Amino acid sequence: MTTRSRRLARTRDIPDRTARGFDPRGDGEDVLFVVRRGNALYAYRDRCPHQGARMTWRRHAYLNRAGDRIVCYAHGAEFDIASGRCLLGPCLGQSLEAVDLHVTEQGEIYVKNEPVDGHEHE
Amino acid sequence: MNIVGPDFLVFGVDDVEACKQFLIDYGLQPVDVDARGGRFVALDGTGVEIRHKEDPQLPPPLGTGNALRQTIYGVADEATLERIAKELSKDREVVRRPTGALSTVDDAGFALGFQVTVRRPFDLPGERVNAPGAPPLRPANEIGARPDVEVKPRSLSHVVYFVPDSRKAEAFYVERLGFVCTDRFVETGPFLRPAGTQDHHTLFMIETPPFMKGCEHFTFHLGGPTEVLQAGQQFEAKGYQTFWGPGRHIFGSNWFWYFNSPLGCHIEYDADMDLHDDTWVARETTISADASQIFLFKSIEKWMPSGGPPPGKSAGVGH
Repeated sequence: MTTRSRRLARTRDIPDRTARGFDPRGDGEDVLFVVRRGNALYAYRDRCPHQGARMTWRRHAYLNRAGDRIVCYAHGAEFDIASGRCLLGPCLGQSLEAVDLHVTEQGEIYVKNEPVDGHEHE
Repeated sequence: MNIVGPDFLVFGVDDVEACKQFLIDYGLQPVDVDARGGRFVALDGTGVEIRHKEDPQLPPPLGTGNALRQTIYGVADEATLERIAKELSKDREVVRRPTGALSTVDDAGFALGFQVTVRRPFDLPGERVNAPGAPPLRPANEIGARPDVEVKPRSLSHVVYFVPDSRKAEAFYVERLGFVCTDRFVETGPFLRPAGTQDHHTLFMIETPPFMKGCEHFTFHLGGPTEVLQAGQQFEAKGYQTFWGPGRHIFGSNWFWYFNSPLGCHIEYDADMDLHDDTWVARETTISADASQIFLFKSIEKWMPSGGPPPGKSAGVGH
């Protein structure tokens, strides 16, 4: 599979204790999301281990109100932000698929090894 | 037991404000709503009640993270309430509230309420179509397509539970409360109809591991297939996330469109469900994509043939 690194955002675009969805290949919908906690960034596929469902109820809504858990709003599964592991709900014990990030010294966030497929229009 | 169907579903949620906006955008009318939550009703008075998950007045949580706290059934009259109280008091606590409503728990651990139904009659035509060979249902000069129509949910249709033992859960509703099985997905669960309605189902159950127990989805009836498509398209345009649909189910024949929600379960728009009486013989099949829908579509951004390429296609690709 052909892969490439793609720029997602700058660190300052993602406020602390929030999440943002991204569509790096132009699929027309977000396929991964990044959560910021302090200076740490965590990225996962927008795909619940339970049924493969998209996780938000509206764009970028990946966290609970307190901003301390990832939630799948398909069936309410809750995940640990740092490990991606399901702590409560229908995929208990399973984990979100982590996505590798690279952050430059200037705070530019890149997703590594993103597959290149037929949806591209370049 | 003359149980008409669900009057209210009560949820204990994480983000009350998000749920309020979501349910208003879905089309429900807020009633007595403040910062602590409130009720959101359809045209017949049935609806959803939202409270914060720590609200001490809520029945206890299911323990799985699911936000459903109580299903309140509407019954025809006081005599039915008396019969339910007498039957269920045989083996469980049934509390009579000052309002006259009953509170108890089913065999799967879901909190139940029963009350004389809040459903009020209203007069509003359903979708009417014209077809050669049939008398016109929409007379001359009556327009069918109205782009700006504001679709209003009409009535709380059904709730779907994840349950750890669907046979045991079914037996409670059939043997104790007089529900009948209208159709069944073998090794998954039954579609159940209470005696006070002809709707194909007001309750469907899906057998799952215990840690999933809760509400899978709930839905309100709309006025017809066009309203399902139009309401779903408008809801999606407000930024909400489709889960499944639009499409049309086989068991029940209802049109569907499911969305994720801040309530932590799905919410659906449905319309045109089959009606059944006691002569109906339940069908059985194994659940599959083909068995659960006759067709499934995916909403895309509006386009037109002469107005440029479809979204995602470069110019010159289409013909």
